[in-house]
Parts: sequence; C-alpha cells; structure tokens
Amino acid sequence: MKSKTCCVAVQGRKMFDKFLTPCCLIVACVLSFSTARADDKFEIYTVNYPLQYFAQRIGGQHVNVKFPAPADVDPAFWMPDVKIIGDYQQADLILLNGAGYAKWVSKVSLPRRKLVNTSSIFKDDYIKIDSEITHQHGPAGDHSHAGIAFTTWLDFTQASRQAEKIAAAMKNARPGLAEEFEQNFKQLNHDLMQLDARMSELSSLQPAQPLLASHPVYQYLSRRYELNLKSLMWEPGVYPEPAEWQVLNLILRRHEAEWMLWEDQPIEKTQKQLSASGVDVVVFSPCMNRPQKGDFMTVMQANIDALADVFSD
Amino acid sequence: MIDSLYIAWQYVRWNRGKTLVLITSITLIAFLPLALQIVLQESEHQLQSRAVNTPLLIGAKGSALDLVMNSLYFDDEAPQAINMQAVGQVEDTDLAQAIPLYVRFQSRGFPIVGTSLDYFDFRQLQIEQGRMYAFLGETVIGADVAERLAVVPGGSLVSSPDNLFDIAGVYPLKMKVSGVLARSHSPDDLAIFVDLRTAWVIQGFGHGHQDLVKSRDATVILNQDEKTVTANAKLLQYTEISEDNIDSFHFHGDESIYPITAVLAQPHDDKSSALLRGRYLDDIVYQVVKPDDVIEGLMENIFRIKNVINAVIFIVGIATVLTIVLVFILSLRIRRDEMNTIFRIGCSRMTTMRLLAAEILIILLASALLCTALLWLVKINSGGLVRSFIL
Repeated sequence: MKSKTCCVAVQGRKMFDKFLTPCCLIVACVLSFSTARADDKFEIYTVNYPLQYFAQRIGGQHVNVKFPAPADVDPAFWMPDVKIIGDYQQADLILLNGAGYAKWVSKVSLPRRKLVNTSSIFKDDYIKIDSEITHQHGPAGDHSHAGIAFTTWLDFTQASRQAEKIAAAMKNARPGLAEEFEQNFKQLNHDLMQLDARMSELSSLQPAQPLLASHPVYQYLSRRYELNLKSLMWEPGVYPEPAEWQVLNLILRRHEAEWMLWEDQPIEKTQKQLSASGVDVVVFSPCMNRPQKGDFMTVMQANIDALADVFSD
Repeated sequence: MIDSLYIAWQYVRWNRGKTLVLITSITLIAFLPLALQIVLQESEHQLQSRAVNTPLLIGAKGSALDLVMNSLYFDDEAPQAINMQAVGQVEDTDLAQAIPLYVRFQSRGFPIVGTSLDYFDFRQLQIEQGRMYAFLGETVIGADVAERLAVVPGGSLVSSPDNLFDIAGVYPLKMKVSGVLARSHSPDDLAIFVDLRTAWVIQGFGHGHQDLVKSRDATVILNQDEKTVTANAKLLQYTEISEDNIDSFHFHGDESIYPITAVLAQPHDDKSSALLRGRYLDDIVYQVVKPDDVIEGLMENIFRIKNVINAVIFIVGIATVLTIVLVFILSLRIRRDEMNTIFRIGCSRMTTMRLLAAEILIILLASALLCTALLWLVKINSGGLVRSFIL
C-alpha cells in the first residue's frame, strides 16, 4: 500500500514537473515581453536643458529624453565626443533649438529625418547679432561671422511654440499616443503662459527702467517684455579687467541702470565693485543646462521672483 | 562505337593545331551571344532593382537619364546642380522624406557621394568595420573601394581636384576613413560617402583657417578697417579637418542655397507619390522622375542594340560554320588516301562515316565544355563586371 502511495506521489510529481516547467517558461516569456514593451520607450536627444524639460513634460512616461552634456558646460559651445554623437545618431528624435544654438550640430553628421528644429516656426523673428569683424578671402567674397541670438525660450511665448513643435513631432512619431501628448502639452503651455503673464505684468510696472546684462543672452527676453537692457560680455566667475569697468562706467553715464542681470551669481569681488558703482546684482538664469535644484519651471519662477525686486524698486 | 571514338580521339590528338582552331571557333561562336545575354540580364537586374527601389528623384530640368545615372549609379556625368531649397520644398509638402545627394567629386577614381545619414537607412547599408562618420571631414567607404585601395578605418583619402588646370581653385581635402560598409553588391560598394557638409567643404563653401583677427602675421592681411579684415592668398587654409581645427571650420552664406545634384524622395504612399509628382508638372526649375521609367527606356535601347549585335553574331556564326564545314570537306579530300586504306582493309563506308562523326562529336563536346566553363566564369563574375564596366 505504502509503495503504491509512493508510486502515485512520484507520478504526481512527474506530472507536476511536466506542466509546471512549460507554465513557468510561458509566464517568464510573457513577463519579459511585457517588461520589454514597458522599456520600449521613445528615445529623444536634445541640445539643451529647456528642450529636455519640454520633451519630458510632453512625453511623460512614454519617452526617455536625454541631454548628455556635462552639467558644468555651456551646451551652446559644447562639443560632444564620438560616442555621444553615435548616441544622437541612434535616437528616435533629435530636438534642436535652432537659431544657431549648439554650433557643434553643423560640424557633425546627424540623420536629417530625425532632426526637429523647434524654433523654425518663428525663424523670421530671430534676432541677428552683427559681428564687429568681417573678413574677406578666396572666391567667397566679403563675409562676416555674424550670429543669431539663441536663448529663444526666454520669450515664453516662443518657448511655448517650441514646445508645440516638439509635441507635433512626437505625435507624428507615435500617433497612438497623440492624445496623451496633446494633454501634456496643454498643461505645459498653460505653465509657460503663466510665466509669460507674470513677466509681462512685472515689466509693465516700470517699462523704461534701464537695466544691464552681464552677457548678451537676454535678447528675446528684452524684446518680448520690452526691457531697456544693455549687454556686456562679463563672466560670473571672472573679475572684469579695468578696461571693462571703464566700458561699464561709460555705459552708465548714458544708461543709468541700477540692476545688472547675471546668468549666475558673480564672484563677491565683482559684486562689491558693482555695488560701489551703484549697480545691484539680480540673477536671471537662462537655464541652458540642468539646474542643481528644481527644474526649468522653478528656475524661471525664481528668476521672475528676483525681477520682482527690480521692478518694484 | 567505342573503337570509332578511340580512333577519332587519336586522330584529333595527332592533328592538335587543326583541332584547337576548330574548338576555339565553335566555342567563340556559341560563347559570345550567350555571354552577352548573361551580362545584359545582370545589367538589367542591377539597373532595375536599384531603380525600382528608388521611388522618385528630383533634380534640375534636363536629361532625366543623366540625373538617374548620377544619383543611382554615381556616374561621373553630373547633372546641373540644384540647391538645398529643393530638399526643403519636398519636406514642406509632408508627402515624402527627402534625402539630398551631391555626387560631383572623386577620390582616386571613385565617386564621392555627399548625402545625409538617412541614405544608409534607405539603402539598408550596414557598417562592417569601424563606425559611421560622425564629424566633418570623415568618410565611410564601400567594400570594393576598401579592397581596391587597401584602405581601412583610420586611413585617409584625398579628394581629387575639381579641375587640374585651376591652380587657384579649392584645396583637396584629406578625409579620414571612419568605417567600411558591408558589401551590398550595388554601386554603393564603389562609392566614398561623406556628409553633405564635407562635400561642400571640398567645394570650398566651408573652410577652416587661422583666426584673422588674432593673426600676428601682418603679411597675411591685405586690408583691415573697423569692420573688415581682408586676407590675401597667403592665408593658411586647413586641408584636413582634425580635432584641433574643427572649431575653425565654418560655412559662408545661406546653407539653403548650397548645391546638390538631386533629392531622393521617399513618398509615404502611392497617393503621396502621385501628389508630389503633380506638384512638379509645370515646374520650370525642377523635374521629378521615376527612375524605374527612365531605366526601362534605357533598357529598351540596350535591347535594340543587343538585337543588332545578335544579328551580327548570327551572320558571323553562319560564316564560321560554313568555314568549319569547308575545313572538314578539305580535310576529307586530304585524307582521301587514308579513307581508301581504311576501306581496303575491310571497313565499310558506314564505319568511315562513324569515324568522321566521332571526330566531330569530340570537337563539339570539347567546345561545349569550354563554352560552359567560360559562361560559368562570366556568370559568377557578372555582378562585378557590370558594376565595373557598365554602370
């Protein structure tokens, strides 16, 4: 009897093994397939942080947005290495800022059909910067290296149009997710329009107030919000040369600014010297690279909060 | 019959010279039309398969054949250039994906094809060695180019001057080979691919040079005022793009008017294709062609020529056969004493005929074998032959 029971048990075990193994295999396959589907995200590469932020907000969980520039570099003048260029080439979409931003793009090979120039929609409104120097040689004739102002997103209406272009490209690439992308874009657009409204309101308090900028990166901000702004070419981490202070004093004679916009907090020595000249520092970060704290929205809100002091002064 | 064959074999061995001439004549007569047929079939296959896989080409008004031959088979007869606005126009229609092509320059006899990376996806070309070009001045070469020039990734190729007599023209550009494509058995195996911008650097639209503003060499400056620095011919321009000087490379003017030779348009569907073609019907600058139609027209002409060649071969063949018959008849006359001897030793007339038939059979068999061997050689090399000598 005992041996019969034992025999039945062994047979049962065999039967169990016979069915369990394939079942486990099927479950494992299904799980791995569903995991693979979940990981099958739409890969997007961008050339600056604002575009990364916009794309991530619009794409949500369905996209994997990468901006591979190191945190301590200016993405406008960064040059990626061959490995990173290879990653860009393999991406599903490559978001460019346009307006001559990220000069490296013209020196590398990227697949044309994956490129999205987010500012092409308002390319006629680009602000041209006249270069001081032109040169002439060879058959090409007289030419200059004049550029275009590229911090387009500091005009929040332009930022919104860039986001709209991103949303359109993403919807085109993943039509099945179009509705979700559209909803996310609407939320982002609402936030950007709030920034625009706040900024417009602030600047209208003292529209003619003279302002200085440490660096020529606020052209679109200045145009949209009608700021009376003059730019220098100073770096936050570098104490300006005596000649540069002389230039400042010359400007201040005709343009009595009490505030200077900085991309980042300048060194203390510069700050003290500026105070001595009657100029206070206000940080308005263009947020070209990933912020140490917060995100694009919080940085822009902090920028506007800081400007509130300037315009209520 | 075996005896007859043995005696015939001994005869053809003894008369080696005559046998060799006969075998060669018969082989050539059979081989020529058949080989021509194989080569033409391969040409047709290669021309049409590439044409069928290329939906539409947009180029300057003019010879459609030149446009197709240059864009598909990288023929050195470049059609009139158009500009990058043509690419933008196609993209703006949202009816097709546009791939620009600029096939004008050469390096060591191989065409330099300036295009975007999308071309490699479109033609499903894979990298076998090295990597895809990433920077300005880099190149990816076809398998045959790598083999014939013995160039590997890390090596370099120099673009040939556009015009040997234009000593004031643009400098040749030394291009770094970043990768070699896997063999695709197509004209891509014989091409040197570069980014479109690299092709423009070869043409002189983009260049790198020492910074004129910072230059301490006064002899380089021809004229300088507040806004303009004019350099003279002494200004050093870089002839190789490297990590150290890539930042100095720049392009002048509006990139949208830079030249290309064609736009390869890949419509989303048949309707898009029809709509896109419709848009160019009355265009006075551009023409849109279906490579398939153009190649079909070309093949019709080729087959017309082939029929003429076949007729010539047929007539020459008849003449050769008649000559061979004459050779046999004369040979029989010379061998009359030999035939009489065979008859006198007891062989019938039929045996004599069998001997002669065996001799002819041996010669025909040898010709057939030789012809088959030659045709087999042509067949296995037809792809390369067509790519090298016809396309």
